[in-house]
Amino acid sequence: MDPILSFIVILIGFYGLATSKNIIKSVFMVTIIESGVILLFLNLGNFNGGSIPIYNEALIDIVDPLPQALMITTIVIGSTVTAMALMLSIKIFHYYGSIEWVEILSKEGHK
Amino acid sequence: MIFIPVYLIMVPILAAIIIYLFKPAKMKYVGFAGQLIITILAILYYNHFSGDFEATTFVFGGWNERIGISLSNDPISMSFIFLTLFTWWMIMIYLFEKGKMNHTFIFFFLFLEGVFFGLLQTNDLFNMFVFLELTTLLVTVLIAFKKAGDSFRAALYYILLNTAGVLVFLIGVILIYNVFGTININVITELMPLYSDEIIIKFAYVLMMSAIAVKSALFPVFTWLPKAHGVAQSAISALLSGLIVKGGLYLFIRINEMYSGANYNHETFFFAVGALTAIVGVMFALSQKDMKQVLAYHTISQIGIMMMGLSSSESQVFYGGLLHIFNHALFKSLLFLGAGIIIKVYRTKKLTEIRGVMRTMPWVSVFMIIGMLSITGAPLFNGFISKSIIKYGIQDSGIKYWILFFVNVGTATSFIKMSQIFFGPKSLSYPMSKNTQNFALMAFGFMCVLLGNLYIPINQGFFGIDLSYIHIFEFAKFFDYFLTLSLGFIFYKFVISKDYRPVPDIRNFKMSFETANILFLGLLVAMSVYFVWM
Repeated sequence: MDPILSFIVILIGFYGLATSKNIIKSVFMVTIIESGVILLFLNLGNFNGGSIPIYNEALIDIVDPLPQALMITTIVIGSTVTAMALMLSIKIFHYYGSIEWVEILSKEGHK
Repeated sequence: MIFIPVYLIMVPILAAIIIYLFKPAKMKYVGFAGQLIITILAILYYNHFSGDFEATTFVFGGWNERIGISLSNDPISMSFIFLTLFTWWMIMIYLFEKGKMNHTFIFFFLFLEGVFFGLLQTNDLFNMFVFLELTTLLVTVLIAFKKAGDSFRAALYYILLNTAGVLVFLIGVILIYNVFGTININVITELMPLYSDEIIIKFAYVLMMSAIAVKSALFPVFTWLPKAHGVAQSAISALLSGLIVKGGLYLFIRINEMYSGANYNHETFFFAVGALTAIVGVMFALSQKDMKQVLAYHTISQIGIMMMGLSSSESQVFYGGLLHIFNHALFKSLLFLGAGIIIKVYRTKKLTEIRGVMRTMPWVSVFMIIGMLSITGAPLFNGFISKSIIKYGIQDSGIKYWILFFVNVGTATSFIKMSQIFFGPKSLSYPMSKNTQNFALMAFGFMCVLLGNLYIPINQGFFGIDLSYIHIFEFAKFFDYFLTLSLGFIFYKFVISKDYRPVPDIRNFKMSFETANILFLGLLVAMSVYFVWM
């Protein structure tokens, strides 16, 4: 798969972030950007016909293990961010009764 | 001795976990004990390595440097570590009797300290990303901790914008790994001259710098900062404005160090960004009527001044920017903590409604005035030193000098506006501030005065830089300051206090989340055009 495709996924995420008026959509756009980043890194460390990076006698034709190790960390962090952002969205809905950016940002001094 | 960086990260996190899991009755003292241990360790570490910082690089598990995780320190990171320790000590003392310290709060508060130490000491790019993202998460929790509607809103705005920025940083790291085959900063620094002309490396620089611009609230993408710092608890605002936002500027220094082998001509671009940040921050600060919003917008404008210094390739001006980071951390924490006490007592944030603080709380007022004198750059206080260094370096260039002058006048104006709270009759009669709070304010105020007077030996000892060309006791300096103040006073009296037409418009200006993201993409495109095409 071409790295350009992962860049397209990332750009879709940014386009969504720049246009969506809904909190939940914004949260998932960040998730989409993250998926694009993970795809990009896994792609760059991979090649056709490579085997899994587990130590064997031959030790040939294995893919680069580092991107996989790093991307697991990224996935964990990303899920935390998503959970956190969704929790905040629920709280915002309870306080403002809306999940539209325009509406929640225009209400001032609301406790 | 070489393991101490690991302890600096682990001890606060362990203390946090102990407090959260076992909920000891004397939980505050567990936090203080951890703090004491890392302070002693940091001093020992500095004494041991102060002559030779090359030896501090520590690779976990004895791996090859190119693939292992490593930590390393230099004079800049050590000074940041001592600043972090000092700030955390003082804010813990400030919160000591406040009654708001429950287990959950202390858990996140101490965890953030460990993570921030990690950010300062890390020597590989991926861990830099991890610590950046962890800082973002923990700061989000601390902003939302007040459990009010506007703090949830600010926290969500903060986490989404900053996560998007940090993911862009990760793309930059990936591109660098693809070219160099390693993410170790030392190795990349050595290899940089070989690859610096490749487009992919230039693009990685652009991506990482735009992420740093979001984290440190530079010009088009600063909108999260006043929201977040304006609604958090005052102690948390002090921590965020004083220290955490400087994490971005620290990364700016580190990444530029990493790219020192490349010649991208970043000075012009980042000076322009810094100048715009400073001017826009001051303009917004002048229009605000909410005390914490004024302070938050002044953080933005002071970050602009730091950027004007840090972007320079002359070591003198760069050093002025670096010193301004430390000075700003001291006086901005002082101002936020003092503002917290005042807001708590008067139960309002409106500058127009608070009067008579001088008679009600004399000590708090004295320390607040020290903070205000420092931020406006009065001689004998620390803000003067760093601003003079920057001014000294750019005095040949007319426009740069006038930008700095304009920002200083704006700062003076808005602090003259804020100083109106001290005048007026005594309005409340019961005792207000606790002794521990006064102690924290006093310590920050003392450091402001100390760094403003004994700057020559301190900087000579820590960074080995000679500042003896800055003289305090010169008539011209005092005259300059009074000129700035009186211009600010005239501007306040005849424009700001009358609330003429553009002022309320600026105050009511709101930027939606989509616009902030469009501006972020715009910054990315502008930087790509500047660094990759030109």
